[in-house]
Amino acid sequence: MRELELYFGPQHLGMVGNFSITLNVEGDRIKKADANPGYLHRGFEKLMECRTWMQNFPLVCRINVVEPDHIELIYSMGVEKLAGIEVPERGKFIRSIYCELARVASHLFGLWAYANMLGFDTVAQWAMYHRDLILDLFEELTGARVYHIYIRPGGVRRDFPQGFEDKIINTLHSIGGKVPDYNATFFENRLFEKRAKGVGTLTRENAVKWGAVGHAMRATGMEYDIRKIEPYAAYDQVEWKVHTRNDGDAYSRLLAIRDEMIESVHMIFNLIDNMPKKGKVFAKTPNPFQWKIPAGEAYVRCESSRGELGLYIVSDGGDKPYRVHFRTPSYSHGLTILEKVLVGESIADVGNIMISLYVVAPEIDR
Amino acid sequence: MDRNQLKKWFKSPAKMGHKYSLHAIYFCTGCGIIEVPPSITARWDAERFGVIPVATPRQANLFLITGYVSTKTLKAIIRTYEQMPEPKFTVGFGSCPINGGMYWDSYNTIKKLDKYIPIDGWIAGCMPRPEAIFVAVTHLWTLIDKDMANGYKKYREKYKYYRANQEKIFGTLDWPPLFS
Amino acid sequence: MEELKNNIKSSFDKVKITITDNIMIINIDKNGIVTILSFLKNIGYKHLALISCVDLIKDNKLEIIYIVSAYMDNDHEFKEKEKRNIIIKTRIPRDKPNFMTVMDIFENAEPYERELHELFGIYFQGHPRLTPLFLELEYEVPPFRKDFDTRKFVKDFYEDIPAVE
Repeated sequence: MRELELYFGPQHLGMVGNFSITLNVEGDRIKKADANPGYLHRGFEKLMECRTWMQNFPLVCRINVVEPDHIELIYSMGVEKLAGIEVPERGKFIRSIYCELARVASHLFGLWAYANMLGFDTVAQWAMYHRDLILDLFEELTGARVYHIYIRPGGVRRDFPQGFEDKIINTLHSIGGKVPDYNATFFENRLFEKRAKGVGTLTRENAVKWGAVGHAMRATGMEYDIRKIEPYAAYDQVEWKVHTRNDGDAYSRLLAIRDEMIESVHMIFNLIDNMPKKGKVFAKTPNPFQWKIPAGEAYVRCESSRGELGLYIVSDGGDKPYRVHFRTPSYSHGLTILEKVLVGESIADVGNIMISLYVVAPEIDR
Repeated sequence: MDRNQLKKWFKSPAKMGHKYSLHAIYFCTGCGIIEVPPSITARWDAERFGVIPVATPRQANLFLITGYVSTKTLKAIIRTYEQMPEPKFTVGFGSCPINGGMYWDSYNTIKKLDKYIPIDGWIAGCMPRPEAIFVAVTHLWTLIDKDMANGYKKYREKYKYYRANQEKIFGTLDWPPLFS
Repeated sequence: MEELKNNIKSSFDKVKITITDNIMIINIDKNGIVTILSFLKNIGYKHLALISCVDLIKDNKLEIIYIVSAYMDNDHEFKEKEKRNIIIKTRIPRDKPNFMTVMDIFENAEPYERELHELFGIYFQGHPRLTPLFLELEYEVPPFRKDFDTRKFVKDFYEDIPAVE
């Protein structure tokens, strides 16, 4: 049989996000895959050197469009570490609740993309509707549906409005009440099992060699979660568990995502119960027009919904950053692991594997 | 349907066909793609306006350019736009195609998209809500009624100016000119 | 952390180590990078998180930075070693930026080195595929260096193009 070169290019019904893969196929089996990023490159790290520390917040949240909240958090943590600012207690709890809501919304978006890829349109419509209910909560708290700019160095921008905790609890109860329907329609369906079991397998040895993080590592059995290893915000003050699966294929990764979503919902209920009822939510920072941060460097990391998100930040004593470099989880998943895992699979499974590894294109290009 | 609509239909059935079945091509160009799935699923249904996503450019007549455009994406956009059959309409979504937006000083984004392909309408915002897509679609209907949505005719008449602008960015292009 | 510091100081010469919070910063000469990275990988620091670069235009040098951390040995509980990040820094001259690749030690270093080649102009010897990753156009000065003025470039390149009436 002869070999063909196909472009699984940016304009394709099976591609979510602006990303392209060049495939060498023989029949239906893939022999070689080359990822081709760069369609969304804006040069963030160069733009951030031309703006002051506070002016960078609206710019930074646009790096990952599906989940902008963890990137605001990591830039804030970097600035706080360099400047030596402490966050008050109530601010830490509000940050954790906000990030867990963002995690649930981002996983529901991934579920929409994955269910559409396999053909389960009903589950895709439910997932997008429930995500819209969570975005309504964000709109009441911060004023916008997608780009919130809520976290600032020293805490959060403003306190919860009156009666907001009850609204969170009611919304999560209405989403949680649908979980048996999700299970019966999608997660326990034998068609999903046939499509996803044994596809895109990542063994433990390969995962360590190729730099896998996040749920792709948790699906091979290791309880690797930055919220337990280096706790930040209020994660060390509530009880919660890390869920793992054992096989390392697309089926295990999706089930690990589902368990993580349910654990996040229970964690939000615990955080609301343990939160201090009154207190300040942000620490005082100097005048943002003239804020100079002492020289130094720092590396901070947190756990976004895709994996380990890190930031290397260097300051030279001025009012603008000297060098900023984001370590995003989709970089090693989308450029190294995807090329190696796709060898030997069929063309119909390219979208299946790409979304089960949770590759989001704007995070790779920045 | 009231009497006005019936009169319009008898006068020009072709325009009625263009307006009420705009097939949008599925191309996630930039940031704005995050507000398109909410507008095509059940909560803000776009199919009641006649808009559904289709797979290939040969079957489409609406091109929604969501968000900023980088230089690599501009090549893909020009090739997709030239493959769509006429009459075709383009809408720029977000503040970035209008004048550069938030990335006005970036070395890799296109500042004014109007210089490279013709655009019929703009939606401002960062991000615009899903209802803004429907306001743009109804506005496009009134433009089609008055014969003012002529981007594709302008591309045909002034093709050599558009092609000269495209060649200033990329050097020589890999594909031959569309209209000689 | 202190015993790791003494261990490294006794095995290598010309190193300077500082420890703050959870982070150990090692400054080493550029010929010792490959040996210290394989030494750390054999002890158990198998996760290469980042390869980055800082342009020190005043000293006329480029500083290359490697950040490694450890995966969990035991699947269910973590030890003190996994909390740490180790940053290894070295400097190369800015006029002739040639360096060697670390792909033999860490396989996922390939896209990081491709990105640094394109955006800073560093040549990595031994890398199998140093083709452009993100950029489409070609620039005379690599875009992330400090002497590339991005606002001037935008004014000269994009604003001259005439609008079509």
